[in-house]
Amino acid sequence: MTAYIVRRLFATLPVMAVVAVFVFFLIRFAPGDPAAIIAGEDATAEAIAQVRAKLGLDRPFMEQFFIWILQMLQGDLGVSIFSNLPVSRLIVQRVEPTVALTLSTLFVAVALAIPIGVVAAWKARRLVDRLVMGFAVLGFAMPVFVLAYILIYFFAVQWQLLPVQGYRPIAEGFWPFVESLILPSVALGVTYMALIARITRASMLEVLAQDYIRTANAKGLATDRVLLLHALKNAAVPIVTVIGIGIALLISGVVITETVFNIPGLGRLTVDAVLKRDYPVVQGLILVFAAAKVLVNLIIDISYAFLDPRIRY
Amino acid sequence: MSVTSGNILEVRGLQTQFNTLDGVVRAVDGVSFDLARGETLGIVGESGCGKSVTALSILRLIPPETGRIAGGSIKFEGEELTTLGEEAMKGLRGHRISMIFQEPMTSLNPVLTVGTQIAENVVRHMGVSWRAARERSFEMLDLVRIADARRRLDEYPHQLSGGMRQRVMIALALSCDPQVLIADEPTTALDVTIQAQILDLMLELKEKTGTAIVLITHDLGVIAETTERVVVMYAGRKVEEAPVEALFAEPLHPYTRGLMRAIPRLDIEADAAGMRPRLQEIPGLVPRLTQPIPGCAFAPRCGFATERCRAEPPPLVDAGGGHTVACWEVDRVRASAL
Repeated sequence: MTAYIVRRLFATLPVMAVVAVFVFFLIRFAPGDPAAIIAGEDATAEAIAQVRAKLGLDRPFMEQFFIWILQMLQGDLGVSIFSNLPVSRLIVQRVEPTVALTLSTLFVAVALAIPIGVVAAWKARRLVDRLVMGFAVLGFAMPVFVLAYILIYFFAVQWQLLPVQGYRPIAEGFWPFVESLILPSVALGVTYMALIARITRASMLEVLAQDYIRTANAKGLATDRVLLLHALKNAAVPIVTVIGIGIALLISGVVITETVFNIPGLGRLTVDAVLKRDYPVVQGLILVFAAAKVLVNLIIDISYAFLDPRIRY
Repeated sequence: MSVTSGNILEVRGLQTQFNTLDGVVRAVDGVSFDLARGETLGIVGESGCGKSVTALSILRLIPPETGRIAGGSIKFEGEELTTLGEEAMKGLRGHRISMIFQEPMTSLNPVLTVGTQIAENVVRHMGVSWRAARERSFEMLDLVRIADARRRLDEYPHQLSGGMRQRVMIALALSCDPQVLIADEPTTALDVTIQAQILDLMLELKEKTGTAIVLITHDLGVIAETTERVVVMYAGRKVEEAPVEALFAEPLHPYTRGLMRAIPRLDIEADAAGMRPRLQEIPGLVPRLTQPIPGCAFAPRCGFATERCRAEPPPLVDAGGGHTVACWEVDRVRASAL
């Protein structure tokens, strides 16, 4: 197992390299010029060229690329073109709200979706199942920003139960912190929850038709033991896979959610940096998001071996 | 308690039906039989005759979404099972009535260890600790002669061969000393050599524990070797019942006779060319069970059938010596050569 984990860790390096190349060139081929933005609207072509030379953006792409890669290998993600702050510091400053939002969404979605999916499969084709699956289709079809504004309208504006916008760091107290996360987590999590609930139901339905479930019932085991141990453990591999795939969904959702709820996290930082063509910041952020995704996949792959003894590496 | 004391299980007029797109299937249509304490009863018939459904009905394991017990009575130790509450029924399953299934490859849970799967049954019904249940699981694996039983407890089903898995199923089924063991085609999926070992093991353990066995099979050879009494089923109905010697000495139902003619025989001398007589199959197919069958279900495939056979269902009649048969033309059948 240890050898497998080490092998998988090394396998992430080429993935990250490809991401780095892709990010660098993608953003440079995108329209827009940071030098023109910095120089201002009325700047002369000469002034813009000056700014460009100062930022090193007049050098050939390949040269810029190798400078960036060399810096990165030394742990230096570069300096923001606009704020002149190191990209790593910008990211660290903004990481807490995003991690808090992602983890709370992940936790809430998984904690609700799996029981919902299990119950739906257990009561398949009955009323509970139809309600749950109706909700799942609706939840999956609802764009994050639409749901976010609906939630804000009712829970914050009409009933004034929760704050409309903003983020309170955990350092300012646990309850305000939780309060500020509830609406964004729900808005972000509904799609994800619908996805997990559906796959849980489908996977459980398949498992519940297996012979070994009949054996478990022939032992007179309690329903919860049959469902939660005998069936769910067998159904777990596809569910965990979808939870992993859904992390990508969450990362893209975070950008929108943070904008709607005015949360100063990595998502907002990304939007601002992209709009300003702040190349070093965008590059650093995409690498961080990619690394997070790669890490999640690694965890998922390792979890398979624990869930199903037939999977060995 | 029932007055007919010697029987541990009494099935009367059992009717089990399934809802399908083609209509209601009468998988079991009025089957009755008794099981005496410590007895081995065989139920034989071809695929789809309702023998497995009969077994699942006794344990009330018919999936409620599609099927139901529509009528009749199942009495276990005098207690009516068809109306027993689900919780009480769960207390019986795996404890006083247990079951072995046909497919050892798929009947064990692939993600739980063998030890866990046996021990959970013991914990559920014997009210002992997991440690004691694990010890019991070890004893049971040892009893079914699995070598290195202590180590096998921590193995998963995929690490065992088919024969070993069926031994595990037997160990599991007998772990709480049941009064009745229902074995549904326990050897069908196994190699011939392993089949004999498993059957011998079941009979040996039966002698030790006094468990009564209902052995369900389509294999008359298995029936001849292992059972004391036989119920022959056809199209959801019981067509004949007899002590095993009587059935093989003089099968009275044309269907039973058809089954016997389909057994390869090595005791008939080969002719000069080294050929033995061709096996005879039963012509035709099992009838569809979505329509009520007015007369004898076997009539369309039966050489003895008359107008009455097609119109009126034949009652079970006593042919003497505990031998009963449902056939209008039994006298003609008896007079004809096998």
